[in-house]
Amino acid sequence: MPLLEAEGVTAGYGDSEILHDVHLRVDEGEIVALIGPNGAGKSTLMKAVFGLVTPRHGSIRFRDKEIAGHTPYNIVKEGLCYVPQVANVFTQLTAEENLDMGGYLLDESVLPERKERVYALFPKLRERRHQRVGKMSGGERQMVAIGSALMLDPALLLLDEPSAGLSPKLVDEIFANIEQINATGLAILMVEQNARKALAMATRGYVLASGQNRVDGPGQALLDDPEVGRLYLGG
Amino acid sequence: MATPTPQERERPTVVTRTARPGERARALVQSRAFLLLAIAVVFAVLVVAAQLRGVSAERLLSLAAWGVMLGGIIGLGSIGLTLVYGVLKFPNFSHGALVTLGAYFTFAFLAWLPQGEPLTPLSFGWEFPVALLVAMPLVGLVAMAVDRVVYRRLRRQNAHLVLFAMASLAMAFFLRSLIYIAWGPDFHFYYPGRPNPALTLPFNIRVRADQLFILALALVMMLGVYLLLERTRIGKAMRATADNPELAQVRGINTERVIAWTWLLGGALAAAGGTMYGLSSQLRPEMGFWLLLPMFAATIMGGIGNPYGALAGALIIGVAHQVSTAFMNPTYGPAVAFVLMVIVLLVRPQGLFGRSGG
Repeated sequence: MPLLEAEGVTAGYGDSEILHDVHLRVDEGEIVALIGPNGAGKSTLMKAVFGLVTPRHGSIRFRDKEIAGHTPYNIVKEGLCYVPQVANVFTQLTAEENLDMGGYLLDESVLPERKERVYALFPKLRERRHQRVGKMSGGERQMVAIGSALMLDPALLLLDEPSAGLSPKLVDEIFANIEQINATGLAILMVEQNARKALAMATRGYVLASGQNRVDGPGQALLDDPEVGRLYLGG
Repeated sequence: MATPTPQERERPTVVTRTARPGERARALVQSRAFLLLAIAVVFAVLVVAAQLRGVSAERLLSLAAWGVMLGGIIGLGSIGLTLVYGVLKFPNFSHGALVTLGAYFTFAFLAWLPQGEPLTPLSFGWEFPVALLVAMPLVGLVAMAVDRVVYRRLRRQNAHLVLFAMASLAMAFFLRSLIYIAWGPDFHFYYPGRPNPALTLPFNIRVRADQLFILALALVMMLGVYLLLERTRIGKAMRATADNPELAQVRGINTERVIAWTWLLGGALAAAGGTMYGLSSQLRPEMGFWLLLPMFAATIMGGIGNPYGALAGALIIGVAHQVSTAFMNPTYGPAVAFVLMVIVLLVRPQGLFGRSGG
């Protein structure tokens, strides 16, 4: 049974339709990379999965339960968490308060243990836990954002461009963190501009262009595909 | 869904370009220090003007002490205003009506409760705090109900923020009309004719015991607000929702519930402010409407959306307002709040504690 399955998803904002009949699947334990040029609808698809954009047609099922059109705060209860591309932390709150908000649905007694797990993954956050996130660097903010999403111990993590705006060194660090998180059994669906790196570590990949599925297959196969290389990976 | 709030995005850390003198001067003028200086100048002008009119230092100190109390009243109102702005991003013009409603609710409950002996030197008996404690949650519920019937409908339709502001203005008139119908246009007093002589404190400051009670109660409530926002889960969720409502939903926060709590809290504090205002002067259907300007001035001065800033702004405006009555007709009092608000808007629109750079 697939963890997440989207079929025939059509969605957009206002009068414009951005996604046309898109499909996507994530199985247990996979890393799935969603790549494609700017404006392909990658972020819109993530938002549609998470209820921030209501699909006009199609179905989105998580563990065989229909979630299309549900509110984000109900979707998060099903066991999937989302890290948006921008504005993915509460800048006015401290790092620890951000993690508390990540675990808003949990019983207060489990919070310390969950926070410990995040600090074990990102030791730097432990040192700076009482710092306001608005004053942190881009890399630290990304750690807060991912850490907050891990608080609920989800089965699937949606990452929208986790490497955006980071220095090359930090990009490698964040990617290493993502593999580390995946190794604990968490499935990951990520949108990435850094398509080669993303495909190299992905179990499978989907290429989206102009709001439609173009190619999909194992990560390595997409990397080796000359057509994908020429059109979407910059030769 | 509302459009995502603008967030501070990555900024380049290295700025090699040297600022031109004009820009540097502008940055200086817009700094917090300069705004504080400008406020200090306004105070200096007030004090000098009072001295020229031959007002004694003791009288000025007493007025300043009164001003702190008035600041407490304005502050209680401003907290609700700034919290609602923080979460819903619209200026709630009906907040003044909630202040008035609170004062009249307390008045209504006082009529039902048996009157106890005055708790000297205070002018009222135990029934007064009881009536206040009943009025506060009730006004909170009224605020919640208005949100449910009016603003939530607009939220569902993704209405423009101007529409929210206009709707709140309409609610201000609506609530005020209800107050006119229920209690009439006349003045009322909680305890007509009951004396409350001024006490003499060190430095010859003369204040009434009731005013000290008002100040103490305001301080207790503000401490409560601080603890609520910093220590409790719902308080943190309020700050998170104000910061980024879309992310709050993504993190599993039911933002509609947070909004309901925000109205409950804002309405209850407005009721407390209104009751204390009524105790310090008298009850009129317009009382809250006249507090609206100082409340907005305090909110803007402190950085809109920031409850602690609103409190600081309220104290500054309260003191300035009272000190000005030493040499001006008190009817012009709101002008002082207005002047301070204009100074803030010209110098540093994001307020004393707002994020620099807008």
